[in-house]
Amino acid sequence: MCWRFLALRLFVLIALIQPIIADETKSLRPDHPERAKRGLALFKSSVRTTLTKHCLDCHGGKSVKGDFDLSSRELLMSSGFVTEAADDSHLVALIEHTADPHMPFKKPKLPDEALEQIRTWINLGAPYDAPLAEKSTTPALEMQVKDSDRQFWSFQPLQLITPPLVEDAAWCRTPIDHFVRARQEAVQLSPNATAARHVLIRRAYLGLIGLPPTPERVDAFVNDADPDAWSKLIDELLESPQYGERWARHWMDVARFAESHGYEQDYDRPNAYHYRDFLIRALNADLPYDKFVQWQLAGDELAPHNPLAMMATGFLGAGAFPTQLTETEFESARYDELDDMVMTTGVSFLGLSIGCARCHDHKFDPIPARDYYRMAATFSSAIRAETEVDLSPEENRKRQTAFDAQLAAKKLSAAEYEKTQLAAKFRAWLATAPAAAPQGPWEALHVVSVESSAGTKFELQPDASILSGGTAPPQEVITIIAESFRPGTKALRIEALTHDSLPQRGPGRAGNGNFVLGDLQVRFAANNGSGGDDTLEAYPTKLTAARATHQQNTDSLSVAASIDSDPVSGWAVDAGGIGKDQAAVFDLESSAKFTGSARWTITMFMNHPNPQHTLGRFRLSVSDQAQPMPEVGSSGPDAKVLHALEVLRKSSDESSDDWKTGLAWFATSDAEMSSLRQAVRDLEKQGPGLQMAKVMVTSEGLPHMSHHADDRGFPHFYPETHLLNRGDVHQKLEVVSAGFLQVLAPAGVELSHWQVTPPEGWTRTSFRRANLANWMTDSKQGGGSLAARVMVNRLWQHHFGRGLVSTPNDFGVSGERPSHPELLDWLASDLIEHGWTLKRLHKQIMLSQTYMQSGAYDESRAVLDRENILFWRRTPQRLEAEAIRDSMLAVSGRLDLTQFGPGTLDQNMTRRSIYFFIKRSQLIPMMMLYDWPEHLVSIGQRPVTTIAPQALMFMNSPQGRDYATAFATRLPQDAPEQTVREAWRLAFGRTPSDAESAASVQFLQQQPDPDQAIVNLCQAILSMNEFVYLE
Amino acid sequence: MTIPANFSRRNMLQRSGCGLGMLGLASLLHDEGLLETASAEDSLGNRSLNPLAPQSGHFDAKAKRVIWIFANGGPSPVDTWNYRPELTKWNGKTIREFDPAFQSTTGFFKDAIGNLMQSPFTFTPRGQCGKMVPDIFPHLGEHVDRMAVIQSGYTESNNHSPALFAMNTGFARMGFPCVGSWVTYGLGSESANLPGFVVMSDSKGRGLPKGSAANWSAGYLPGIYQGTYLRSQGEAIDNLARPASLTESAQRNELNLLKQLNGFHQEQHAADTELAARIESFELAYRMQAAAPEALDLATEPKHIQDLYGIGDEQCDHFARQCLTARRLVERGVRFVQIYSGGMDNQLSWDGHSDIEGNHRQFAGETDKPVAGLLSDMAASGLLEDTLVIWCGEFGRLPIAQTGGKPGRDHNPHHFCAWLAGGGVKGGVSYGNSDEIGYKSVENRVHLNDLHATILHLLGMDHERLTYKYNGRRFRLTDVAGHVIQDILA
Repeated sequence: MCWRFLALRLFVLIALIQPIIADETKSLRPDHPERAKRGLALFKSSVRTTLTKHCLDCHGGKSVKGDFDLSSRELLMSSGFVTEAADDSHLVALIEHTADPHMPFKKPKLPDEALEQIRTWINLGAPYDAPLAEKSTTPALEMQVKDSDRQFWSFQPLQLITPPLVEDAAWCRTPIDHFVRARQEAVQLSPNATAARHVLIRRAYLGLIGLPPTPERVDAFVNDADPDAWSKLIDELLESPQYGERWARHWMDVARFAESHGYEQDYDRPNAYHYRDFLIRALNADLPYDKFVQWQLAGDELAPHNPLAMMATGFLGAGAFPTQLTETEFESARYDELDDMVMTTGVSFLGLSIGCARCHDHKFDPIPARDYYRMAATFSSAIRAETEVDLSPEENRKRQTAFDAQLAAKKLSAAEYEKTQLAAKFRAWLATAPAAAPQGPWEALHVVSVESSAGTKFELQPDASILSGGTAPPQEVITIIAESFRPGTKALRIEALTHDSLPQRGPGRAGNGNFVLGDLQVRFAANNGSGGDDTLEAYPTKLTAARATHQQNTDSLSVAASIDSDPVSGWAVDAGGIGKDQAAVFDLESSAKFTGSARWTITMFMNHPNPQHTLGRFRLSVSDQAQPMPEVGSSGPDAKVLHALEVLRKSSDESSDDWKTGLAWFATSDAEMSSLRQAVRDLEKQGPGLQMAKVMVTSEGLPHMSHHADDRGFPHFYPETHLLNRGDVHQKLEVVSAGFLQVLAPAGVELSHWQVTPPEGWTRTSFRRANLANWMTDSKQGGGSLAARVMVNRLWQHHFGRGLVSTPNDFGVSGERPSHPELLDWLASDLIEHGWTLKRLHKQIMLSQTYMQSGAYDESRAVLDRENILFWRRTPQRLEAEAIRDSMLAVSGRLDLTQFGPGTLDQNMTRRSIYFFIKRSQLIPMMMLYDWPEHLVSIGQRPVTTIAPQALMFMNSPQGRDYATAFATRLPQDAPEQTVREAWRLAFGRTPSDAESAASVQFLQQQPDPDQAIVNLCQAILSMNEFVYLE
Repeated sequence: MTIPANFSRRNMLQRSGCGLGMLGLASLLHDEGLLETASAEDSLGNRSLNPLAPQSGHFDAKAKRVIWIFANGGPSPVDTWNYRPELTKWNGKTIREFDPAFQSTTGFFKDAIGNLMQSPFTFTPRGQCGKMVPDIFPHLGEHVDRMAVIQSGYTESNNHSPALFAMNTGFARMGFPCVGSWVTYGLGSESANLPGFVVMSDSKGRGLPKGSAANWSAGYLPGIYQGTYLRSQGEAIDNLARPASLTESAQRNELNLLKQLNGFHQEQHAADTELAARIESFELAYRMQAAAPEALDLATEPKHIQDLYGIGDEQCDHFARQCLTARRLVERGVRFVQIYSGGMDNQLSWDGHSDIEGNHRQFAGETDKPVAGLLSDMAASGLLEDTLVIWCGEFGRLPIAQTGGKPGRDHNPHHFCAWLAGGGVKGGVSYGNSDEIGYKSVENRVHLNDLHATILHLLGMDHERLTYKYNGRRFRLTDVAGHVIQDILA
């Protein structure tokens, strides 16, 4: 301790005086020539050979890794790795293994003699006689991927492997055991025997479905004499709907899945949960793993009509993304997003940190920056979008059928009425009708005056419509004074009419032909014939409901918005209504009564901030019908009708065209006919009520999800992806085409080998992601071998607590090597050979003796393998946050097994923990305590920490107490022995030991408050190590 | 075959492990940090049992702990710590006369670019060093001889949340560990009964800083290193209070039973030290229940101390309480405390887009006396000798006016100020400089990575050696850059 302290002090001292030394050495030392001579001699005699042999390949020869190039003195001295003194030189620390990464990388340390020579040489100024390698260009040479790079263990294709022979064949149940036992035999390590059945069933339940077995199920299994009892149990659990929930959650860590944007406002992605539901459904259905991968990358291209495939694409867009962006950030934010996609794809499926090649060629793995950008280019136009997906096609088919039948019936009754009763009424009407012209449902107002706040000049048209002239003002308020004569007015209509003088033929004056009727005020005054205008008293008339032939949306641009309290929002007709006549109808709160005429003052406010969104041609009408439907025209019979009626009055030939014309007109004024037709229209409008789910997908060519920066012109994606120098968007190099990793493809095989042909006529997406997915799962020549190894390892890791490769997200050079490489490859081949089914892989693993052995500990064997790398025992595994909480809920009897659908942030919910809504700024505190990920980057293995706040959760959280209280109600209350026994059976699937029972019974008896005593006991049980550690 | 040969604490426990009692003891010793052998260079490795055990740094250093005052929203340098007399000369001229390369996209609002505007505040020389301090900091002006003011900071983002992330984590993207997490990861905590890293933000209901909890996130570091957010209303920390139906003695009895039951289980798992650590964690938790409320109880502070911070002063009472809480926490071994001044939206924080004068007068007024009180108090007790106090925002503001009713100032990533005081910091110095109008840092420019490297250095850690391996790469707070600012070290 003492000398270390001293050394630290010295270090500080050196650090403090170092700047002074540095200043002094700026000028050459007097003994410089002598030193240079000695240094050069040393370089020529030994250092040059050492550097060339051990360092040059990766640092200036064939490639430049770690941004460190020692091929010439200039490059060495400018690297920052070497200073005037060997003691201060980072290079020395690296090769002496006092700093990471130890050099030469993953190779033995250099001999002491060589290290000493390098030290001396650096202290002598590190002179070179000539560069170690000729360089034509200063920038680092682009990394070339060679066949030697493809020899690295994880990049090789899978080989056919035969399980090894073992002496102790009796211990082995499956081929897995042969691999495991052979390694143990090599070091004379013997494994454990099979665990007790109640231990096994708990292990299987928590492992596969994340919930503990019920006491009944434990009893049945423990007493099951069938030799296949274990196999049957595994099958049963794999078929359980809860299996998918358990294993989907594991994958969600890897996929950095969350349901909000993160950053500034952390907006929710309310339809993102479908990706989680996809995972659960896919795993439960045992979707082959290659499809599982393909759909997450390109389900929208490979199976666009399959809802599950669409839901799967949520994977790519699940990353965090800024919500507030300024112009200077648009492009870099998009490159960051592509980076998130590349990084997560690489790590999740291939266990490769491709993301490290963003600023430079990968420092350890044979991944050139070019490969990184080509992969990024694959995602160039992929964006988050929302689309409707039919998640219940069977029910929807039923809904459609029912609707069709109902509509047909309504149409039929309307047709029957028209044919029989309406015709009869018309006949009667013809017989008695007055000679005067009949009236339609709408009476066009007689315009007295029209004025604009912006000074617009208007022209009254022969059809009683008003046409605006001149240049459209940015905003205006139009006031019309007009008269009507038909008493009992119940509704007002505004027709927005097209005209050749208007942009896009109108009906609005904006460049796109649109308008926004922000607000509408109506005043009415009765003129009962007693005097002139002076006697009129105008008062406001309230408008209660609104309908339109078309409206832009159902929100701020709907017709209802014209009569809401917001003066800006209002009726607009874009999105399908431009260039067509439109009408909006507004109901009056009470009908306008008068005997003579009515005078109307109608004010239309068009103040939308989008300029010139004002009406181009419009007509005002009123109706004495209640709640008439919006329609264009019918302000009275036209000339053709008048003519027909005149003919029919003379002779009613019911087969003539005139009859049809007359009847059609008559129908519009017949209340019953109207209501029958209205019923048809209503039903049509209501539609069949198909239940479509809005799903967040990642795709191309669909409208992007709305974004905060849309009004600043954020483009969401850039069609081309550039190779960037040092990852900087301001240092663009050439445009790159989509591509994959060269190291995971045989030399000379063209990318077109993995080309997937889109269906005939497909244009919406580029199919670049489909190609990527195809390569990724090609186990012969593409990434499939590695993808299979990575997934096998993930399953193994979750079953045993440690993967065969202990760095599940790094199968590259700097990752750990597999403990059992042949076993890993054998399992990966087996997975592929059997159609990539994960359920079978689970069963393979679980049937092994390696899995089934007990956790018994033995010091004499532990000395041979402390870390249990050779799997000679079961290491106890701490359950994850979800399994702990779900187990508490299950044992307390409060667990709600409802599946799927939106999640919640409420910690008091009683569904499984996978149904927590994952909001990046409000991660569930209870889950976070137990090492829940931040859901920002891919996590292959959660850390396992033990901290006091976890204990506080068990001791004090309302939920912890609540579960204990519910648990207590499930127990016999009157006989302490029975209480304790049942509690143990529920919590642990076993009976308590005598000691446990005695201690607990004593506890129950000594508590002053018997009601709380059982609750307190339950709380203690739920807090026990045995409850949260799985053996 | 390779079996790691490192002699970890866990191995040691297993080898020396005897019965239950011994393990309990070993575990307890470990909690006190006495058995810890892991260095901060390791990834979590064998520290998972008590990841907050105190660690020694890479070298000896004065500062042991940090209190970070975050002037949230982006304080204007020319109106705070970088007096620019030349700006008076330029007052009313356009910035393009000064710098033709000025881009309208530097600020947030492109269409509100006014002319250069002198500071509305009066600056006077303060302290021995004569540092020019505006009249909005009358109390902090007393402490300039303790401060090293960095007058040449710059960052990359002109937008709050990326800039906040950058200031806190070194990266403008979400998902990286913040300085507090790195420091707690590197040094652990001196307190067994309190969280190692505590964050407080506006207690007047004006919101969290933009980006919320991501600002005190542990990123890819284990979650234990994330900041514990101290709520200003209700329960300050989750689960500290016993359930109503559980009396103190009943809980003690329950924990005794739990200990006994875990003991039976442990007999069959003597080698698995995680289990022993978990047994101990319940005892620690039991002690925390008492320790945390005690630490947060300001009523026990003498009146003159409360007055010193400004408690009871309407304008600054809320911040005074947080500053005093911070002192009580670090005093009890908490490693890192961060306090945000101001809330989320413009004008509710130092984000003075309109009326820079009113805005900065308000937020300086809310913090000046409390922060000055904190410095005085800790200086008097000696705590300041080994406590590092940091003051900064996420970026600076432009020297031009943002047009509007009352002139404000828009965002400026090219220049911001920060100051450090306390453990290991040279007082009375101003480091670096901007151009004459305070638009861009030009002399001895300080990047965030440099600031972070310096903070770690002051705490005894080499920013190049404090790494965490995640998904195949060793990550650093300073990524691939960063230089310690030697000139401000004492």
